[in-house]
Amino acid sequence: MKATPTVHALPLQMDHLSTLAEAMDYAAQGDTGYNFYSGRGTLAEVLPYTVLRDEARALARKLLSLNMPRGARVALVAATEPNFVRFFYACQYAGYVPVPLPAKVNLGGQQEYAAQLKRLLLICQAEAAMAGDDYLPYLLDAADGLALRFAGNMRTFVQLPDADTPLKPQRPDELAYLQYTSGSTRFPRGVMITQAAVLENAKAIISHGVQLRRGDRAVSWLPFYHDMGLVGLLLAPLVGQISVDYLSTRDFAMRPRLWLKLMSENRGTISFGPPFGYDLAARRLRDDEIGNYDLHAWRIAGVGAEMIRKETLEFFAQRLKPAGFDCRAFLPCYGMAECSLAVCFGRLGAGIEVDEVDAERLARDHMAVPLSSGAGENGRSNTFITCGHRLPGYELEIKDEEGQVLDERRCGILHVRGASVMSGYFGNTEATSEVLSPDGWLNTGDVAYQTGAEVVIVGRAKDTIIVNGRNILPQDIEYLAESQPGVRTGDSTAFALPNAQGYDQPVVLLEYREKDRDKRLQLVAALHQLIQQEIGIDCRVELVDKDVLVRTTSGKPSRHATRKVYLRLVQSGQEKSTVVSTVPVESVS
Amino acid sequence: MTRDEEILPQFQLILQEIMPEKKIQVRPELDLVSDLNLDSLKTMELLEKLEDVYDISIPINILADVRSVGDLAQAVQKLSAG
Repeated sequence: MKATPTVHALPLQMDHLSTLAEAMDYAAQGDTGYNFYSGRGTLAEVLPYTVLRDEARALARKLLSLNMPRGARVALVAATEPNFVRFFYACQYAGYVPVPLPAKVNLGGQQEYAAQLKRLLLICQAEAAMAGDDYLPYLLDAADGLALRFAGNMRTFVQLPDADTPLKPQRPDELAYLQYTSGSTRFPRGVMITQAAVLENAKAIISHGVQLRRGDRAVSWLPFYHDMGLVGLLLAPLVGQISVDYLSTRDFAMRPRLWLKLMSENRGTISFGPPFGYDLAARRLRDDEIGNYDLHAWRIAGVGAEMIRKETLEFFAQRLKPAGFDCRAFLPCYGMAECSLAVCFGRLGAGIEVDEVDAERLARDHMAVPLSSGAGENGRSNTFITCGHRLPGYELEIKDEEGQVLDERRCGILHVRGASVMSGYFGNTEATSEVLSPDGWLNTGDVAYQTGAEVVIVGRAKDTIIVNGRNILPQDIEYLAESQPGVRTGDSTAFALPNAQGYDQPVVLLEYREKDRDKRLQLVAALHQLIQQEIGIDCRVELVDKDVLVRTTSGKPSRHATRKVYLRLVQSGQEKSTVVSTVPVESVS
Repeated sequence: MTRDEEILPQFQLILQEIMPEKKIQVRPELDLVSDLNLDSLKTMELLEKLEDVYDISIPINILADVRSVGDLAQAVQKLSAG
């Protein structure tokens, strides 16, 4: 078996492409494609675009035999495997909308995973569903009792008859996919992205973000059920007709060095990841292994998906320098599933660029005043990574809470408008109108300021907790807390505190009236385990006295205000007297 | 077939290596999540070491049913016997 080549004869062209099916038709004239690697780093399956196109079209005929209406949702458990990819593109040719579902089950989390799949199947109104062998039992469990026309794996789908109707690929104004990546497992929102939107974004990424060139080859371990993995490392490479080497996310998490091995052996030039991925790879690497790798070809090490900390990237760069890694390869970027993927890209070849501002002025006046002399009022400063320029096709505005557009260096909420923005959340006009204005402006919820043409993100979307690059919504944690016996709705609040490394440590506070110490300890242990099984995070569970949770006038707990009160308690050392805790937070700042 | 008395000391070594900050006393009924507080990344580290030590490949779906050290030991025994 041989991986698809890096260099090939097909000229890089994309201006004429308006749908993913057209992109596939063109890329299939060349020799490049997707390559899948095993958990031991060996080549397991090769999928040249030219073969994939034929297989996807053949599979599309099978799907058409189910007589689903055009635009029907086909849910696909998005494991990193060729069959997910075949089905994804089969939908493009058949006129159906693929919906990637998470392929991630937590330790002991069998029931929770099946329940999560069931919620997603229901909410996207799936007509058919597919999983690989590993996930099929959970999918069938989830599909039980739902009115799906078909649920199965590749083996059962290929037994369907071929429809004799001609293939009718998606048109530019039709949906390319639905993406449930807004973080919530309990209240998922499906981002609707049209063909035109994703093509616009992929082209902008290729020509402006990474400036794709001859000799480029991508390597990815990012999941296909996240925007960066799906759009950035599956769809954009097709639109740009380059080869990609895939390692499953689980295999990466188990053996992070395989990422470096692939980059080295295949002379990969482009890879992306959240900061935690770089951190994990650098930490789990043994000193004697570094010499095995040659990373000179790595020209773009994209970083996104969570707030970037300079120290993490410097650690990786320093560790891999002997292998030829150049820290100028770091390319910060900013985006979200609601914008297909990318909004801003850093300057190519510049590495990490920072803006150091006066912390006092930032907190007091929401002004990002640059520090030229190194110290501001009280000598405190904040250092932010600049996320670069907006991609062409976007308009950006920073607005205050009243909707006033703010000047340069004033902090406010970032709003964006452009052709890659979503059409809305599937079947949820209320959630859509909360973030998308009638004239097309998307409220990102992120706090940012502009300096010249550069965008700096100061804080993430309100309340979101980020653990290992995943967005966790506090309401998911609160939902589990309030489902415990003896805990009433509105009696819990979840938020994040910085841990010793400066990353988010999720915390949930509960008012629990039971006084019996054993019962209190039992509740803490049970909830901690439930959160681990359903959400897959280590969340600190705290039982607090009645006056700790701060409520708004409407009686809802205010996460922000409660967090402040709690921080004061912790800092004054009083928290021990009021709470029972399972997990020690290493330090709270 | 790897027996309990061989496998548990091996688990003890591996878990202690992954979590040097904790004092671990391995028993079959020890719960990986609620007792040991094993997060998803630590779980992956544990699986890597188990795969290497026992020269097995642990399928994804096995984890969904595993809660305790004993569950995991049983799964490993089955895989290394098969």
